Order: sequence, then C-alpha cells, then structure tokens
Amino acid sequence: MIRRPNTVAVGTIVWLGSEVMFFAGLFAIYFTLRAMSGDLFASEAEKLNVLFATINTLILLTSSFTAQAGANAAEHHQARRTGGMLQFSKWGMIEWFFLTYAMGATFVTLQVFEYIELIQHGVTLSSNSYGSAFYLTTGFHGLHVAGGLFAFLFVIGRAYAVKRFSRKEATSAHVISYYWHFVDVVWIGLYLVIYWLK
Amino acid sequence: MRSNIVIMAIIAVFFYLCSAVYTVWHMATYEGTIEWVGTLGLGLTGALATLIGFYLVLVYRGQAGEFAADRLDGELDDDDPEMGHFAPWSWWPLGVGAAMALIFLSFTGPTFLIPIGGALLLIMMVGWVYEHYRGNFSR
Repeated sequence: MIRRPNTVAVGTIVWLGSEVMFFAGLFAIYFTLRAMSGDLFASEAEKLNVLFATINTLILLTSSFTAQAGANAAEHHQARRTGGMLQFSKWGMIEWFFLTYAMGATFVTLQVFEYIELIQHGVTLSSNSYGSAFYLTTGFHGLHVAGGLFAFLFVIGRAYAVKRFSRKEATSAHVISYYWHFVDVVWIGLYLVIYWLK
Repeated sequence: MRSNIVIMAIIAVFFYLCSAVYTVWHMATYEGTIEWVGTLGLGLTGALATLIGFYLVLVYRGQAGEFAADRLDGELDDDDPEMGHFAPWSWWPLGVGAAMALIFLSFTGPTFLIPIGGALLLIMMVGWVYEHYRGNFSR
C-alpha cells in the first residue's frame, strides 16, 4: 500500500509557500525604504530596545520546540498527559499546546509594550518611513502570531471534543505546528534584519 | 513523485540564478547599488520552490513505493486513492467570508463595524472548525 501525502498537510505547505511571498513583499518594503533613507534608518534604529527584543525572540523560539513536542505527542495519539502535571516527559498534546499558547501570548503582549516604548520615543506608523516599515513588518508578523494563538485553541478544543483522538485531530495538530515553525522562522529573519543589521 | 521533485528543484535553481544575475546586472548598470525588491522577490521565489520541493522529498521518502502515475505500466484504475475527509456542503465558509467582508468594509470609515465583524468571524470560525464534531455531521 503506497502511502499518499496527507491532503491537509500538502495544502498547508502550499499556503505557507504563499505566506513566504507575502513576507517577501514586506521585507522588500523594508529594504527599499532603507536603501532610500539610510541615515534616517540608522538614527531611528538607535531607539530600539535590542535586549528586550532578544528576550522576546528567545520566548518565541522556545515555543517552537514546545509546539513540536505537542505535535510529536499527537503523532502517538496521546492527547492528554499520562503522568503528573510536572512530569513533562508524560505530557500529551494538550499540555504542550497550552504551554505554547502561553509563550505565544507572552510574545504578543511584550511586543505591545515594545510598541508603547517606541511610540513614546516618537516612532509611530506615520512618523516617517522607518516607522512605517518597522510597524508593517513586525505588526503583520504579530497578527500572524495572534492568529496562530486562535488556531492553537481550535486544535486543543478538537482534542477535548472527541472521545478518541484520531488521525484527523493529529493532522490538525501537525499543520498548526508547521504554521508555528513558519511564523518562528519569519521572526528570526525579521529579528536579524531589524535588530541586528539595523 | 521523482519528476515533481526534479521540477521543483529546477524552478528553485532557476530563480536563485535569476536573483544573482539580476543583482549583478543592476550593480553593473547603476554604480554598484543593489535593488532589493527584485533581488529579494526572485530569491524568495526560489525559497518558495525549495520549501515545496523539500516537503515532497520528505513525502517521497515515507511513501514506500511509486504512484501509478509515476510508473510506465500504470493504469488509471491503479490510482484511485482515498482522498480524505470532505464536507458534503457547508455554509460556514460563506459566513467567514461575509464576516471578513464586514471587517474590511470597516476600514473604509465605519470603524464601529470592527467588533461586530470580529464577533461574527469568531462564531463562523468556531462553527466551521467544529462542524464535524457536534450536531448534524458529528461522528
């Protein structure tokens, strides 16, 4: 029996390919504006709180590993934990995804605080081209993270809704982990470009 | 599946080369400046093909055999797979579209529509995601 690729997984990968092109457009905006006004970008980027963003990046990066742990648990059709609350090795998909959700929510919340600090320093969406580029790229990424959080809740809800955790629920766990890794990789790109290259 | 992977690899290499040629050509014509839109756009089109191609490699590895479409002696009847689970009909996607339309309409001025559209979107998404878990279609 030849094993065929899961249609949901293939569809998700193709859609993520189109998402790559969406973020390609945003990166292109950032680089074009930077090429046109390098001095402005250099002076505005000085206002960034790089340490804060680095900590936030680490939180999102770690959440990718917890999401993968949840997807692996789903692969073994293990929806709930079989041990105690603190026995991580016996956690099921639900526990790992709740932890991932908490980390993703922390990332978005901290990003809001970062925005508040920048706005107080006069960097806004309409202040200049740097503000526009910064908020467009990080803002659309933040929206993707927020959307992913809803998706995690949907997948967790599906695990609660069934008596027996089947192939179908495992598939939704896998595709949300694909999406989460994609969002994570995009952030690493954004982080390197915005906070390191400046 | 081998041919699909090879086609994706050709597309990827083609766009990486295009990106390199475009960058060098622009630098040669315009005093060494890089035009980022084209360079990134072409390069990431290559990344797009790489992503899909790499995924197909993983699928091919776990496939354990060739599809009938990839065999010279394959018949149409050999390729009659289980395609997966599909809804016979569903109103929910239409509702999602209507809610999104309301949200986008709100961007033109009537911003009070945003929470209404958001609430509708949430209802429609929950309805769609759990369509086969509760009620008429539940298993």
